[in-house]
Amino acid sequence: MVAWLRGHPWQADTLLAAALFLLSLGQVPTGQADVRLEVIVVTAALAATVIPRRRFPVAAFAAGAAIGAAQIAFGLQYGRVAPVLALEPRATDLAIAVLLYTLAAHASRKVSIAGLVSCLIGASVAVLRWSPSHGPHSWALVFDALAGLGGAALTAWVLGDSVAYRYRRAYYISLEERAARLEAERDAQARIAAAAERASELQERRARAVDESAARLRRIERDLHDGAQVRLTALALTLGEVKENLEAAASGPDDADRVAALVGAAHRNAKEILTELRDLARGIHPPVLDRGLRAALAALAEASPIPVLVSGVAPPRLSPAIEAIAYFCAAELLANAAKHSAAGQVTIGLADRQGSLLMTVTDDGAGGASLVPGGGLAGLLERAQTVDGRLDIDSPPGGPTVIAIDLPGHA
Amino acid sequence: MSGVLRIVIAEDAAIMRDGLTQTLTRRGHDVVAAVGDGDALREAVDAHRPDVAIIDVRMPPTHTDEGLRAAQAIRRDHPGVGVLVFSQYIETQSAAELLAGSAEGVGYLLKDRVADVGDFIDAINRVAAGGTVLDPEVVRHLLRASRRTDALGVLTPREREVLSLVAQGRSNTAIAVEFTISPRVVEKHVASIFAKLGLEQSGNDNRRVLAAIKYLES
Repeated sequence: MVAWLRGHPWQADTLLAAALFLLSLGQVPTGQADVRLEVIVVTAALAATVIPRRRFPVAAFAAGAAIGAAQIAFGLQYGRVAPVLALEPRATDLAIAVLLYTLAAHASRKVSIAGLVSCLIGASVAVLRWSPSHGPHSWALVFDALAGLGGAALTAWVLGDSVAYRYRRAYYISLEERAARLEAERDAQARIAAAAERASELQERRARAVDESAARLRRIERDLHDGAQVRLTALALTLGEVKENLEAAASGPDDADRVAALVGAAHRNAKEILTELRDLARGIHPPVLDRGLRAALAALAEASPIPVLVSGVAPPRLSPAIEAIAYFCAAELLANAAKHSAAGQVTIGLADRQGSLLMTVTDDGAGGASLVPGGGLAGLLERAQTVDGRLDIDSPPGGPTVIAIDLPGHA
Repeated sequence: MSGVLRIVIAEDAAIMRDGLTQTLTRRGHDVVAAVGDGDALREAVDAHRPDVAIIDVRMPPTHTDEGLRAAQAIRRDHPGVGVLVFSQYIETQSAAELLAGSAEGVGYLLKDRVADVGDFIDAINRVAAGGTVLDPEVVRHLLRASRRTDALGVLTPREREVLSLVAQGRSNTAIAVEFTISPRVVEKHVASIFAKLGLEQSGNDNRRVLAAIKYLES
């Protein structure tokens, strides 16, 4: 039954209105039929105001309050004016308490307090006008009546207001939860976006690294093809000639000279092949790196036509790949400085930045170095980026040029 | 074997160019031009009409297959000029392109072959005379990669060796010398091979090279 009433507010409120109406039926005066009809109409109207109370709490209260005000104005004994019988206050006036409760529960605090105040004023005025103004106990009675009516209004308001408080609280909590959920969603989206960005960045770098290693392999193959392979073929040709000459039956003094010349050429050629192969191998992996980055840089410094000072200390545990990148960058930058800058002094600075390597190559030359797509510095930048490293250039016209390379400790 | 040959050399490595020139000159041949790229080669061939052009496959500007392209152009424009293409690597595809159409006066050799000076000079002479020279390596590739394993399986070991030499462009006489057997025995072997593979016999050495290679390739 209660559950049904909860599920059907209109029907429940209609039943409530009927009950309120029935309460006043005993108070309908006997006698003139037209007065009876008017009383029933006013009572029914007052009771009916509770029906739409939940949907229109303010309007319902206003309607109920208006009828109450009319009762105070015209339905009570007041001096010389005869009261209108139909507007006498009756039990149905409980409807106003119900409406005040509804107002407190559903309308804003400001409106509900206004409703409470108007009810208290109405109750006071009604009691003052209604009560006998003479006699020894009259003020006590007035006070009791006031306390009764005011207390009823206040109770209705407090009950409604506490319901509203629960509603509001629940609403705030749901709002807070929603805000938190939205916040979490935004965080998740931001993380996903960042991850996607990182993924595409890594993909790009990987592609570049693959391209670069393919290009390096091609370079090595080309070096082998144009260098050692050609020389070895020529050497084989010369030795083939030597062999034929030695096999020739008539090895006169002329032939001996020829053979000596051919062997001399073959010997020279073989030595050049060795040099070339050594250079090529060094280009693939400089053996000097086996003694550590510092030693390798010192070797570079010795070989440089410009005086080079190596200072600072590299992080203790760099991976071989990082050392190789740092070495090749330094070699390229020293070569650049020698070729383009007209510098008189180059400094290679090493620093340990919490395990990652910061290498700065500074020259006091002409400056004006910049990143050109496909250029040497761009190549170094790409090399650094393959391991998530950085390369920064500071080279104002007139110098000095500072290239800072930041590499992680491990690839 | 033959007289003085007029030769054009196209090779981008100077050391090889000079070595080849010296070797050929010492043997009395006339190196009329030694150039370093495909365009210069074609100009030299146009100007000198040599007996043979010795061409390196990889030359500037792209260092890929300029030599091969130039060789094909020379074969088209100057059918009388023998073309001996040299390469650091052997690719059967390049050989097939070079031999497309005719095998007359064409050679394709691994660069290393210059070390055996006698064989190398012999190859030049053969190409100059309108013969075919195919590197043993190419033939080995072809034999290994051929899908005709069933048909090749019916050949005797000696027949397979003879087929290999036939594909290299050797004449019956040369094959006979190689195996120290009589040319008549070689003839018999060749006839047997061609019968077993279902190929038409041809008296022309160049045509039988093409037939053998086409067979192995298909």
